[in-house]
Amino acid sequence: MATEDESVDQLRQASGTRLRELKGQLFEAALLGATLVGIVSLLILFGYIAFDTFQPLTASAQWYLLYFGTLVAPTAAFTWYARRDPAVRAVNAKAFAVVFGGLAVSLVTYVVADSVSPYDVLIYLLFGAIPPLLVGVYGRTTDERTYTGPAIPVAAVLGLGVAALLYGLVRPVVGIAARWIAYFGITTLPVAGIIGFVVARRWSPRHGVMATAAVLLSALLVAGGLLGVGTDPSFWVVLFSTFVVPVGYVVGSTVGTNSEGRIGVLGPFVLIGGVLAGATLERQLAIKGLESYLTPTLLLESWHGRVASEAGVYPQLVGSIVVVGFMAILAFPIGISAAVYLEEYAPKSGWGSRFATLLEVNISNLAGVPSVVYGLLGLALFRRTLGFGTGIVVSAAGTLGLLILPIVVVSAQEAIRAVPDSLREASYGMGASRWQTLRNVVFPEAVPSILTGTILALARAIGETAPLVMIAVATTTYTPPEGLFSSATALPLQIYAARSSALPEFRHGVVPAAAIVLLALMLVMNATAVIVRNRYERDT
Amino acid sequence: MSNESQSVSDSLQRNQFVARKERLYAWLIAGSAVLTILVTVGIVLALSVNALTFWREISPIAFFTGTNWSPKIAGEYGVLPLVSGTLLVTVCSALIALPVGLAAAIYLSEYASERVRSILKPALEVLAGVPTVIYGYMALVYVTPLIDGFLPIDATVIPSRIQILAIPDWLPAISGFVLALPEFTLVVPSLRTFNALSASIVVGIMIIPMVSSISEDALSAVPDSLREAAYGLGSTKFDVSTKVVVPSATSGIVASYVLALSRAIGETMAVTMAMGMSPQMPYFPNVLKNLAESSQTITAAMVQIAGADSLGTGPTFEAMFALGMTLFAITLTMNVLAELVRRRFREAYE
Repeated sequence: MATEDESVDQLRQASGTRLRELKGQLFEAALLGATLVGIVSLLILFGYIAFDTFQPLTASAQWYLLYFGTLVAPTAAFTWYARRDPAVRAVNAKAFAVVFGGLAVSLVTYVVADSVSPYDVLIYLLFGAIPPLLVGVYGRTTDERTYTGPAIPVAAVLGLGVAALLYGLVRPVVGIAARWIAYFGITTLPVAGIIGFVVARRWSPRHGVMATAAVLLSALLVAGGLLGVGTDPSFWVVLFSTFVVPVGYVVGSTVGTNSEGRIGVLGPFVLIGGVLAGATLERQLAIKGLESYLTPTLLLESWHGRVASEAGVYPQLVGSIVVVGFMAILAFPIGISAAVYLEEYAPKSGWGSRFATLLEVNISNLAGVPSVVYGLLGLALFRRTLGFGTGIVVSAAGTLGLLILPIVVVSAQEAIRAVPDSLREASYGMGASRWQTLRNVVFPEAVPSILTGTILALARAIGETAPLVMIAVATTTYTPPEGLFSSATALPLQIYAARSSALPEFRHGVVPAAAIVLLALMLVMNATAVIVRNRYERDT
Repeated sequence: MSNESQSVSDSLQRNQFVARKERLYAWLIAGSAVLTILVTVGIVLALSVNALTFWREISPIAFFTGTNWSPKIAGEYGVLPLVSGTLLVTVCSALIALPVGLAAAIYLSEYASERVRSILKPALEVLAGVPTVIYGYMALVYVTPLIDGFLPIDATVIPSRIQILAIPDWLPAISGFVLALPEFTLVVPSLRTFNALSASIVVGIMIIPMVSSISEDALSAVPDSLREAAYGLGSTKFDVSTKVVVPSATSGIVASYVLALSRAIGETMAVTMAMGMSPQMPYFPNVLKNLAESSQTITAAMVQIAGADSLGTGPTFEAMFALGMTLFAITLTMNVLAELVRRRFREAYE
């Protein structure tokens, strides 16, 4: 044996195997290093930003111990516990999604409605939603789908048109009502309707009606109670309708029906409870906390160029949300339709197919056009040709929409392509038409992945700066946009504008904190996209 | 009987409506597809109309060969300093991103386990997803001081008067002749507040995923039979990766390089924020000075004009479109080139 080992050893030496092995290992290490170098440098830079924002050295050791005890340890322990059981884990994930999703929805709803006036939102919502709802209900009761299908979008558009025409007449009448009633109309009515619909589907129509009535009544009770105390209930009505009610529904139905995983519902409440307990104890015991720059002032006030403690990015934040939201309304229907055309309608031979190839090449080239050039297009289109004012929501949203269009088309195309042909053929075999196949078979199957792609496109759009600079969007405004034709600004523009501030508390404080807010927005969007995708993958 | 024919014609009519409805939807959908072409038409029109107005006032020759970009003060519109700034950033960021991106692609495609890959690949994609305005801010506020901590460097690489050949005195004709190496001192000056180096570093980081993801697609497309054949001949993994897989995927790798360069050329916010606003012809022969000094790219010049002069209609305003036209032409050419390389030189494995 020994001699054999020796001879193998000699052979290896003779053929230089050792050297080659060493070379291979060095090569692999170098490759791994190269893969990590970009990621690590970005992490270091993010570390700098986070350090400047949160100022971790300002807090005392007790502060860290306190939050470790109330927040980190319980959350980690619960997560560890929940991960062992798949049922609990699923419920935990669902509870987190509903709690933080509901919170985000209610904050965005309140903030946007507040800046553009809740009365306007109410008028357009009523006129835009009621006619199509009536048509839809008529179609459901009479089972008449041929005409109601196309009538629904037509009714919505007509309703919005009528609202725009009658706006001058209706606005004073609606304006009589208190502000909170407008919010009640915007949030509580639709939420009550949806809850009623869901409950009616799951249990019985009678339960549905009861659920709707319960939601409406309790929202009125909340409002009445707050009015009795003498505070404006607007915000609380919104929070109750879009946060408490959905969370209550999900928690209630999960606890009632899912006996295996019901403990998972506690997950988000452990987290929130930890934060609240930590904050209370911090104040009670007078522990020295973080002197972070990420403060309520930063999120809720408008910009101040010299005093760091008074500088905020509220108008910028709302501007970003409004611009990107309106951009989504403009760009997504067109982008998804274009993808549908390329995947489902485009002819496979003859001149039609050449046209489709031209479209594909065109879209891939559009995706490579630098974003500044889109800014020039926006400038020429919205300012010079259409004569819109400088830096208004419509031009900003339109410019970003043009920029995002190729990305939406490509991602939607991939989603539609992933739907297996066998489903389409089965549908055609049943005698369905192309549109029916698309609406009833292809689209429901492709929606989650289209959604993932579009959310990622939104995240990309919210960070775009160059096109907005090109169309001369104001870098700082002191009020959030009041409508589609009012001037707006966006968060990245404020970061760009504040780059040259020499004051250290801005350079190493407020601006990094604004950057953290922007990154957090993008992180939330990306996380949403990942959640949607994972849920979809689990379902199939 | 008549009742029956009534219902038949009724259903026929409805079918006609359904057909018409279907046709309407098809037209609507095709209409939105055509809209994407209109975007391109719009870009070309918007750029060319305004750029032609500009070139009617300022001759294209003066624009493309001028060495002074000073639209406000001197009224001179020479694009070469801006082109040199753009090239500087592109070349330096390419020096970072191309080798790193290719190495990452090889690692992900050939070496990484499935688990490692599923973590590293999305992590790399994040590099391209961070808003460029944040990259610019990080370059300006964190990268520049970080690097400047090591500077200035004034290191003597070759000291003076190292003689490699001295002619002895007794050879009268050429006595006293000394052949010495030239003195060489590496001088890297301190960085200015705005400098090309930090901008290039962040742009380089930003375009790594562009190289790595497209190259990795190309590497993964190389069929396993080639790898197995090479292993069968006694190759190591190193040999297989460098001598078989990478050469087979050359077209995809080149395409990824071209696309990444095109992205670096069109990059705007990071270079505007980190590199400053002073157009500069390159310093020569002191090449390193270029990196330490402020400069301006084509895109940064456009942003500067838009920020300062967006309401005007004079030649400066239209110069912005001329710059945009130049940029659009360069990036479009590169994108088309990348596509052609990918198609023309793709080895078809069946």
